[in-house]
Amino acid sequence: MHPPTKFSLQDANGQEMQFPPQGPVLLALVKEDCDTCNLTLPLLEAVHRATDDGLDVWVAVQKTEDIPVLKDRHDLTMPLLDDDALDLSYETDIDTVPTLFLYDQEQNCTLQTFGFDRHEWREIAKESMALAGRPDGNTDIDWDALPVQRPGCGARNYEPGVYERLQAIKSGDLLSRLVDLASSDDIHDFMYEQGYTDGFPVVPPTRERVWKMLQGTDRDPQDEVAIVPPNLAPITVEKIAINAVMAGAKPEYMPSIIALVEIACTDSFNIHGVLATTMGATPVGIFNGPIRDRIGMNYLHGALGSGNRANAAIGRALRLCVRNVGGSVPGGTDRATQGGPHRLTMNFAENEDASPWESLAVEYGFEPADDVATLMAMSGGPATIADERSREARGMAGTLAMSMSCMQDPKSPMVDTLVVLSPDHAGIFGRSGWSKDDVRECIMEETAIPLKHRLRSDDAGCGLPQSVVERFGGEAALDLPVPKFREKSNIILVVAGSSAAKFSTILGGWAGGAYSVPTSATIGPTGALEVRGSRGSDMDKRSSGGRELGAFEPSVRPD
Amino acid sequence: MVTQILDPTDERVPIKRSLTPRPEALHGRIALLDISKPRGDVFLDRLEELLHERAPGVETRRFMKPTVAKPAPQPIKDAILEECDFVIEALAD
Repeated sequence: MHPPTKFSLQDANGQEMQFPPQGPVLLALVKEDCDTCNLTLPLLEAVHRATDDGLDVWVAVQKTEDIPVLKDRHDLTMPLLDDDALDLSYETDIDTVPTLFLYDQEQNCTLQTFGFDRHEWREIAKESMALAGRPDGNTDIDWDALPVQRPGCGARNYEPGVYERLQAIKSGDLLSRLVDLASSDDIHDFMYEQGYTDGFPVVPPTRERVWKMLQGTDRDPQDEVAIVPPNLAPITVEKIAINAVMAGAKPEYMPSIIALVEIACTDSFNIHGVLATTMGATPVGIFNGPIRDRIGMNYLHGALGSGNRANAAIGRALRLCVRNVGGSVPGGTDRATQGGPHRLTMNFAENEDASPWESLAVEYGFEPADDVATLMAMSGGPATIADERSREARGMAGTLAMSMSCMQDPKSPMVDTLVVLSPDHAGIFGRSGWSKDDVRECIMEETAIPLKHRLRSDDAGCGLPQSVVERFGGEAALDLPVPKFREKSNIILVVAGSSAAKFSTILGGWAGGAYSVPTSATIGPTGALEVRGSRGSDMDKRSSGGRELGAFEPSVRPD
Repeated sequence: MVTQILDPTDERVPIKRSLTPRPEALHGRIALLDISKPRGDVFLDRLEELLHERAPGVETRRFMKPTVAKPAPQPIKDAILEECDFVIEALAD
């Protein structure tokens, strides 16, 4: 609460009243639907009449329409000021009405109180009389007839909705351009036509909603978080919050959304290529650690979609940031040949409790208690693997391998495939004592086919060019077994979903995984704390111009 | 009542650049930029042949992006700018 020093408000007659007036003044802030205000207004009027010209008594009312009501109800003659815009209430930061400030001749605030305390109010009335030059005067207030104490009421400037509006307008946190809509505009049509959406309606990013979203992070709204491709536009926390509102996010998702933007804009993840590619890739987010439960992410039934707000909105917010700030628009710099529904949002949490193994984050070097987000570029899938018969690890791994052997095309070796095992499928490996590496080794062996079957031929034009034969050692290498995956670590194993049945999911990587490395970050209140590429050491997190993680070129490339 | 929303875009106004005047004839040196897409080399090989055949005296110089997935590194852009009068890019598949 800060006693005001200067303001200007209109009185009930529309006359501008400049504060402070000459001489001492008693200033009160009230609202109509407050019993304590109604109790005290006759007391203020009594002081006003008793002090006459020796002291001004001004009452600021928090709603225009309440001024005539209060005036008639209490037969008031003192000036009633209109603080409907709540400028005075906001600047003063009162949270309770009535609030009372007494100023002396030099405009120093000497006494202040809120609510009603008979002793305090009596002192203020007495001091008011003294300041008015009538220390022995009588206010005609029967103090003994009044209650000893009454609590005040919540000030209107702190009411839900009003508080956020005032903060949004007056805090100075929001610097983005305001877009006015005509009353005849349908807001959803308007936002779609402006190109702001992913095709579905979005939540209109009003100042109030964006300000509330910003409360989900400790980070300064004007902090520049990253440079977003393809337009290489700087993105601030405020811009992320706007797009997060549009995506349907809650404030507690903000640190995760900021972290995803930071990960996406690293050189290692390379969101530029992921979204520009004709292959139609998209970032897929996987969350580990306590944050999954803290923000209500789904890793059980339907974890990969749909129906959970955190899963859906966090992924969608990232996509909207890259679209609206980075300028990645389908048909523009987003050159996806066909695209897919997973490009709207693809984001889930790992079911760590149902996994027989360490989580993805722990595998990538983080601690189990860390909140971690990992982004992977995936262009294929999600495709279902249905195996309700396997009971042993070898058979289950074989099913996975055969299902994965035709990813992208049946001949080309590829890198990075995300295998999302259901708890029932993962449990088969757990009961058999198979590690993640055991599963991977089996998949490598099972998918290995002679080099000659990976070469282009008349019956299937895909695959490796004949020229690679020389690199493998010439004709003698034609029967050399070549697995589908370059390395075991390119087979990414996570567990998600419920124990409903034996169905798992695979998602194929992008362009063999050579151009985008799965990249993770620990999440703190300000977004990403530490960013790591899965195949590299720590890296510069701010940047699309960050350090390279190190050359990662597949030993066998289609071209 | 007027609804107001905050602009979700980067709010930058693109700089308008006019196209370089179209030359009346080919001359000097032409950069042929392969972006590392499949068969980009096939296309540029043939184009280079045709250029030499139909525009004798025109010199060509080949450039290649190290990866299709990222923008061309600055040194390549600088080299094309400094060394060549024209650039032809073999874009996408």
